[in-house]
Amino acid sequence: MDYDKLDQVRRTAVPLQLDTIEAFAAGRLSRREFIQRASILGLGATSIGLVLAACSSTTSSPSASAAGGGGTSAAPSAAASAAASAAASAATGGRIRVAIQRPVSVDPVAMQDLGGYGIVSQSMEFLCTLTPKDLVTIGPGLALTWTPNADGSVWTFNLRQNVKWHDGTPFTADDVVATMERLVAAGNSGLKGVLPAGGAKATDPNTVTMTLASPNGNFPYLVSVFNAQTVITPKAYAAGTTLDKVPAGTGAWKLTPGSYNTQTGASFDRNPDWWGGTTPLDGIDFTFFDATGPMVTAYQGQQVDAIVQFDVLSGKSLIDDPNFNLIAAPAALHRQIWMRTDKGQFADKRVRQALAYTFDRPALIQQLFQGKAQLGNDHVIWEGYPYFDSSVPQRTQDIAKAKSLLTAAGVTNLTATLHAGQLLEIPDLATLLKSQAAQAGINLNVAVESLQTYYGAQWCPAQPADPPCSGAAELGIVDYGHRGTPDVYLNAALKSKGIWNSSQYNSPDFDAAFSSFQKAVGVDAQKAACNKIETILLEDTPIGLPYFYNYLAGSSKTFSGFYASGLGQAFFSATSKVA
Amino acid sequence: MARFIGRRLLLSLITIWLLVTIVFFITYVLPNDVGRTILGPFAPQETVDALNQRLGTDRPIIVQYLDTLTRVVTLNFGDSYVNGKPVLPQLFDAMVRSAKLAGLALLLTIPIAIAAGVYAARRRDRRADRGIVLLGVTSSSIPEFVTGTVLVVVVGVQLKLLPVIATTPPSASIPTQIAALLMPATAMAIVYFGYIARMTRAGTIEVLQSDYTRTAAMKGLTPNQVMRKHVLRNALIPTVAVIAVQVGYLFGGIIAVEKIFTYNGMGQTMLFAAQNKDLPMLTAGVILVGIVYMLATLAADMTMAWMNPRIRLDSER
Repeated sequence: MDYDKLDQVRRTAVPLQLDTIEAFAAGRLSRREFIQRASILGLGATSIGLVLAACSSTTSSPSASAAGGGGTSAAPSAAASAAASAAASAATGGRIRVAIQRPVSVDPVAMQDLGGYGIVSQSMEFLCTLTPKDLVTIGPGLALTWTPNADGSVWTFNLRQNVKWHDGTPFTADDVVATMERLVAAGNSGLKGVLPAGGAKATDPNTVTMTLASPNGNFPYLVSVFNAQTVITPKAYAAGTTLDKVPAGTGAWKLTPGSYNTQTGASFDRNPDWWGGTTPLDGIDFTFFDATGPMVTAYQGQQVDAIVQFDVLSGKSLIDDPNFNLIAAPAALHRQIWMRTDKGQFADKRVRQALAYTFDRPALIQQLFQGKAQLGNDHVIWEGYPYFDSSVPQRTQDIAKAKSLLTAAGVTNLTATLHAGQLLEIPDLATLLKSQAAQAGINLNVAVESLQTYYGAQWCPAQPADPPCSGAAELGIVDYGHRGTPDVYLNAALKSKGIWNSSQYNSPDFDAAFSSFQKAVGVDAQKAACNKIETILLEDTPIGLPYFYNYLAGSSKTFSGFYASGLGQAFFSATSKVA
Repeated sequence: MARFIGRRLLLSLITIWLLVTIVFFITYVLPNDVGRTILGPFAPQETVDALNQRLGTDRPIIVQYLDTLTRVVTLNFGDSYVNGKPVLPQLFDAMVRSAKLAGLALLLTIPIAIAAGVYAARRRDRRADRGIVLLGVTSSSIPEFVTGTVLVVVVGVQLKLLPVIATTPPSASIPTQIAALLMPATAMAIVYFGYIARMTRAGTIEVLQSDYTRTAAMKGLTPNQVMRKHVLRNALIPTVAVIAVQVGYLFGGIIAVEKIFTYNGMGQTMLFAAQNKDLPMLTAGVILVGIVYMLATLAADMTMAWMNPRIRLDSER
């Protein structure tokens, strides 16, 4: 242990950062967990590297892959660094043709679809962006550094300087404040209850202070790519303005005037004044698709070079294609099998546990995703989160136990309808669950319907409105996209009276554990809270969660440097044609 | 002729009113409200309610219906619920795309199918006739999306002869656009070949057996002269009617082909509008497609009347 190096960082670290450093030094955090956690808390790349070097058994230079803001050094974004190194070894110039889901809306505040996220994020940027490292680690975007106060109730963001909007006007703290106010007024699901109206203040042209409703150790995630609507928009950008009507942004790509057409696609050209430097490519041409099958066909027909997102079933040929640069990043994407806990056949938790014990998770992963997924344990804490507690035992298929639980609950010949929406592999999942459940004597009738009606009819009907989703079906499957933190899953789907709580789960113990997690700003406290959450959910089993599946994207090997988030955003600032 | 056209226009107005009413009520009875459909399942209820209020979709149904009728009468279809842009320019763009595809498909189909039908009729019950009939039945039995998929895989992906996406940038040259549309147009042409060829064959056979055709031949006209002056203009009357119906279908019904080739014509545009309860877009789209049908059948009727004056005289009596 090199205490000199460690002390260099400790001297300038705030209490939350110090807690993380100490946890890593004491071996309570893995290297990966430390890098992720430190990034969230705003520890700079240099500082992270120093800590890693200090705690390493061999002398080594600071990790080149560590990302984060903070400390006293202003680190260039990973994207810009990658751009520089990519430019040195690859050809410059040219354009990339990209297949993306058709956007429903390119209104930065109101957009709800992955296509919109992908298009808007080409021009507009976040305070905290995604690093190329993985789908969890955030790094400096428009905020160069961010620092919490002692308990994480106030966050100070130091903004990147000399950044200009595409029209040449300077980017300032007022733009950030106006954006936050707009989002709070619109009821943004990530910021609701976290950042109150008036909570964001510009203390000087390059500094924004955000005073939260209560301490939150994960706040930077809520102003990052993982809260897709929090792209920073100009102060004068009125609510309801869309990118195609008023092209704007600070990002590497400018929307080509007149190119946006909902029916066909959109084009972006290089922003020569981008703060991150000159991008290797001249521009991006997006083509909009309604399904992944035609995307894959277009790639095979050499009409697109990259696909922002596809699924295993449609993209099998790409996975096997040696000329395709596959991104198969582990992600928190998952399906929840909700079971009504308040009434009906699954009100008894033994019955819910019984169903969960019929899941053959490895088989599901292999058959549905060709292995490109991780085991789920009937809770929403994905193993990629730094506070995931692996000590909670993994539930495995146990038909005998399932039968004994049913017997103990006094249930025989259980028959239920398993509702599912027509989306990707979900109908196949329902069919496989049916056959697995049958081994324990549980008869499931699978009912698949179009997504246009499914959400409103089965998952979360509008009526009765109180409590939310109380009209949900007894048993069904719902999809959840990737999030950098589990807050949304915990708050909306599982907390009492959560807006997406279709299982009507109502557990004071869980609510208390979630509240502890939200308030926890130290690593140990977060892990302890997660241990409780995982244990409670495994015991109560309001949902079955058999897997978290990988996010699939990719490009032709004639391009390098493309990476994507799990939320449809694709990053091309470091992409170049291979020479 | 003027009375004929006038009567047809009056009927058209009634047809349009019926179309609008049916579309309105079908959209209204579908589950899920407009705001929820647009904003998605994860949007807060307050946001959904605010959007419904802004769009006026929370008003009583009769108020919404009268509002819709007013918009149709004043040709002010308003803005799309989904993207907030005026509906008519978007539909005209979609209409132009559909027209290009339909035009190319008809250009490929009509001359070949008519020639094949006439050829078969003149060689009735011989091998050529049987072959063409068999080909026609087979080609019209295979759905166009099956043919389209085969073309995409073989011609587009494996041989890479033609692009698999039929959509081209607005600035694309005409040869580029034709190349992009060739596969979907061929997929449809293969299906329509069967209908048109067999209808032409049947009409030609009937006319070839008629007294006036025999008279023309006995007058000393060559077979080609008989075909050109007497047979074709009578034999093709039913074919013209079939083509008119196909024109309407080409504008609004080829959703599967548009999806396979990623081509946003009227079919895809209206499907998207229906799925997202975008009533202004859907209403205007249905009316436009209805107008296309009516114009096509009117043109067909006028063509048939020109080809056979007895049709015109009968209608004016």
